[in-house]
Amino acid sequence: MSRHKNIRNLDLHAGQLRKGLAQVRKTLGTEIPVTDKEIQESLWYYYFDVSKTINYILSQHAPAENPKAKPQPQPSRKAQKGTSGISFSLSSYMAHEHVCASPRTNLPGCLPGIGQGHGSEKKTATELGFFRDCPWGNVPEHRRGEIIVERIHPRGGLLGGSGKMSKLAALAKARKEKAVAEKKQDGEEKASVSLLARLAPKAPARAPTPISKSSLPPTQESKQEIKQKTKQVIMPEPQPEAEPEKIAAASSQGLGHPEDPKTFFPILKDKSIYMPQFTSLLGSPSSFALSFFGERISTIKMNTTNQETFAISGAPTAAQAKAFSEPSPDDIVIAAQSGSKGLNNARKKTDKPVEKIEAAVQAMAIDNAPVKTRKKIDVLEEFKNAKTKESANFVVIGHVDAGKSTLMGRLLYDCGVIDERTIQKFKAEAEKIGKSSFHFAWVLDQTDEERSRGVTMDIATNHFSTASTNFTILDAPGHRDFVPNMIAGASQADFAVLVLDASTGAFESGFQNNGQTREHTLLARAIGISRIIVAVNKLDAVNWNHDRYIEITQQMSHFLSNAGFSSDSTSFVPCSGLTGANIVHDARDKMPWYNGPTLIQTLESSKPQSRGISSPLRITINDVFRGGIQNPVSISGRIEAGSLQVADTLLTLPSKESATVKGIEINEQSSEWAVAGHNVTLHLSGIDIIHLKPGDVMCSPESPIVPLSCFDLKILSLETITPMLVGIHRGRLNASGRVVSLLESIDKTTGKTLKKKPRHVSPGVIARIKVEVTLGAGIPVEKGNKLVLRLGGKTVAAGIVE
Amino acid sequence: MRLIRKSIERDMSGSVTLYPEEPEDMWHAFNLIRPSDTVRAPAIRRVTTESRTGSTNSQRVHTTLTISVRKIDFDAQGGQLHINGQVTEENKIVSVGMFHTLDLELHRNFTLIKSEWDSVTLGVVKEACNPGDRAEIGAVVLQEGFANICFITEYMTILRQRIEVPVPRKRVGSTTSYEKGLQKFYDVVYQSIIRHFDFSALKVILLASPGFTAEGLKDYLLLTALQTDYKPILHSKKKFVTVHCSTGHIHSLNEVLKSPEVAATLADTKFAKETKAMENFFEMMEKDEFRAWYGPKEVERAVDKGAVGTLLVSNSLFRSNNVAERRKYVRMVEEVKKGGGTSLVLSSIHESGIRLDGLGGIAAILTFPLHDLDESDVEEG
Repeated sequence: MSRHKNIRNLDLHAGQLRKGLAQVRKTLGTEIPVTDKEIQESLWYYYFDVSKTINYILSQHAPAENPKAKPQPQPSRKAQKGTSGISFSLSSYMAHEHVCASPRTNLPGCLPGIGQGHGSEKKTATELGFFRDCPWGNVPEHRRGEIIVERIHPRGGLLGGSGKMSKLAALAKARKEKAVAEKKQDGEEKASVSLLARLAPKAPARAPTPISKSSLPPTQESKQEIKQKTKQVIMPEPQPEAEPEKIAAASSQGLGHPEDPKTFFPILKDKSIYMPQFTSLLGSPSSFALSFFGERISTIKMNTTNQETFAISGAPTAAQAKAFSEPSPDDIVIAAQSGSKGLNNARKKTDKPVEKIEAAVQAMAIDNAPVKTRKKIDVLEEFKNAKTKESANFVVIGHVDAGKSTLMGRLLYDCGVIDERTIQKFKAEAEKIGKSSFHFAWVLDQTDEERSRGVTMDIATNHFSTASTNFTILDAPGHRDFVPNMIAGASQADFAVLVLDASTGAFESGFQNNGQTREHTLLARAIGISRIIVAVNKLDAVNWNHDRYIEITQQMSHFLSNAGFSSDSTSFVPCSGLTGANIVHDARDKMPWYNGPTLIQTLESSKPQSRGISSPLRITINDVFRGGIQNPVSISGRIEAGSLQVADTLLTLPSKESATVKGIEINEQSSEWAVAGHNVTLHLSGIDIIHLKPGDVMCSPESPIVPLSCFDLKILSLETITPMLVGIHRGRLNASGRVVSLLESIDKTTGKTLKKKPRHVSPGVIARIKVEVTLGAGIPVEKGNKLVLRLGGKTVAAGIVE
Repeated sequence: MRLIRKSIERDMSGSVTLYPEEPEDMWHAFNLIRPSDTVRAPAIRRVTTESRTGSTNSQRVHTTLTISVRKIDFDAQGGQLHINGQVTEENKIVSVGMFHTLDLELHRNFTLIKSEWDSVTLGVVKEACNPGDRAEIGAVVLQEGFANICFITEYMTILRQRIEVPVPRKRVGSTTSYEKGLQKFYDVVYQSIIRHFDFSALKVILLASPGFTAEGLKDYLLLTALQTDYKPILHSKKKFVTVHCSTGHIHSLNEVLKSPEVAATLADTKFAKETKAMENFFEMMEKDEFRAWYGPKEVERAVDKGAVGTLLVSNSLFRSNNVAERRKYVRMVEEVKKGGGTSLVLSSIHESGIRLDGLGGIAAILTFPLHDLDESDVEEG
């Protein structure tokens, strides 16, 4: 426990100790009842000075009325007073720092003859004479102050860090200090820190460096002990300067029982004066190193057992050692500025863990458990136990002008997400530019261009919740130019809502070869969506005609089963986005022939599929943006597999940069963790925004994706495929690639090879092809990923990476 | 390029002296000069002389060198051609066998001596010296977030710059970051355009994109030019043509060149013909797969059977270092011509040529369907 005890127990000075013991015994003879242990203790205190030891033992045992007297001489009163609050500390480097700061330090150098320190053996006559008439010259032995030069060790920060606190941490600490001081300490103690701080620079730099006892190589045993100590000292370092007060308080209580081995503090307090602090050689990890290595630092430290090399390598002067231990004038100014304006959130961030650690240290008595910055949440367990509503994401697809955005706008309005006033405002504005029926669509079409053209151009994300489920709407654009955006939306969805325009001619045009009804459905299926809700929209335009509804459902169900949607995962809902019929409220009056569920009931009945929560983390970045002044780098995307929590480190591919998760938001609400299936916004730190692109993948560093520039693809062709240039799409990823060769065509039912190296692949055939990425160092895809190949505005194939 | 002198013997060996006038002529020269040919051209050589005391003195000397070609290297971006080889004719400065790398310069004659001038190479010379109207097009193929700025000449498509500017997506509640990002993107493209394009020399400037990005860019260009009073753009307002294409990737140039707006402007140019021929080929592949064949072996068999109506060959095949292979392709071209078919040599750094290279550099549209041209291939495999 006590470092000093440990040091004493080291074998380092066994030889000296033995020799001294023998000498003392010889001189004392047998008349003094003193144990070997006592002698050894004294020898230790007097640094093997035999004569002093004898003096001491004699003085102790001759009167014999004070057997429990403290074995060590008292420090001079002045020194005691000045250092009472600070002479002891838990962490070694703190100890040396504060002791250095004490006025004691300057004495031995000036007065070699008086101090009873290491160098006091060789006093010359001149020296003695010189100080003879000084008042302190004849101080009785027992009252002499023990003045020992504190060794000043280089504060070798691990990784070169200064170990200095961040400015904000320093401020916070200062505040805390004040509070603690007011509570616990009297005015004198309060003043001591600042007083010492002022004294410090004046301390002369002439402290002699006695050759430390530690220059002997440590034995195996001692190494272990050092390791133990090392462990102990590491923990509280992040806020070293907050310690003294607490310790002072503790020590003041414990002073009464100096011999009690269990009272850790007082013993330490006294002995720290004597001990060369060679544990301080370890230095303290810088805040950078702390956050970088976390707990591993202790392991690293343990390996550096050869500390003695430092001990003799040079002792910087007190002034030097102290020079950077407090904030510079600049730092103070910067800290003040950042405090006032909320600048520099990076520093703010570091502030938080420090406070946490402070709290932890206060709560702890002698518990040295390492402090974690990362809460080790068992995310899977949390997820299982979480009593939150289910979350489901769905993409809204369909031909251009089928009324997707209007339907969704209406849905949001009826669910109460959008208020009446906003809709009225949109209505007025839409009428102004002659698009009066577009006001519901404007809820989702927010850019000026989308509104003036009346076309959705990019995925619009919105949320609403029902009694059982939190829904995320991904409103896809229907225009064929924006099919890549639709792919991005569909890749984030659990199921799809296909919107059909029931008005005469419109359904047919959306369904013809180049219609997006068809393409979107096939794409959604290719991306992996298996559940589809068909909303037959705009029934008001055909007078709620039942026959039309039946005609459309028949055609669609035939097509959907061909496309690979099973009949029990398809449902049809007649509705009208503009009038709001059968969306949230049923419309029996208009459609007496329909008594099925409303659109929202159908949505609620759609349960998302199982998700790969326990597999390695994969997030496809959907958007990279500045999440505000606090979060300069934020991404949004869907967690495809795995789970994550705040403070996790993620690897971005293909840029291979790592980033730390600063915050997680699910549906605009912050969360501690997230699992596969969530569409999340992550606030990142430690990465530049240029390393992140939509379409990149973030994954766990333990099992990263290897970006591929050439890969085999098992495809279902939708157009004729020859070796040709194609666009490769996956989520937001949109890369230019080339079909290098056609490997084989495969029979749909049996899976056997039909033809090796076909010259071309006709539409509707399954084949294996080799694809190469033409630009850059590859794309982050792995086996099992679903890709879409497009050329000339058409989807030519959908495939799976092999 | 201007033909200065041509002296070809009856055994088809001989020399041709050419005068390159514009960067594109370097591309022609690249297609003419083969390893083991002899080139005579003006050169600058650094000559180091050593005095009697041992001090050295080096000078750059203008001279004319004749070298036997070992390696040629074409830099499409800079329009430069570097020819590395060994000196074959001694002069005051160099002795035979010394190595030199010639950088062919514009407006300086060079003489090319070949032991065999085949019909294809002579065709290249003829084409290169055709003083027809140069169709030069600037094209910006873009989509939100990235743009390719390229330069299309009759024989080359040169990618001048690829621009990538992240444009944040629209988000719930706020579209300002999206709009800001888009403006920034337009601005970067604008800056790049005025740096790369010489508006007076270009016939047309195509702005191609899916959606409305090209129109947005055009508006931005004209507005910014007006605000900054940038005359070259204001004077060539009419040259900006917006075209629809499906993606912002450079391979969309195919679509762009096919589009009616462009086809009208460039009806008679070589690359319009090439683009058309490639389209026909792919169309035929879908319509009647046995009348469209690609790959060296298959096409060779079709040529042997006299079935080829249109032969498409990429000029990369003629740049082969293997003489026998080069002869094989020359023979095929000649055969087809003899049989009354047309053969097109496509430029391999043109969009259609790149597509053809993807098919193995050679393709043919047959006059009658032939089955099983690839049969023996399968057996071999």
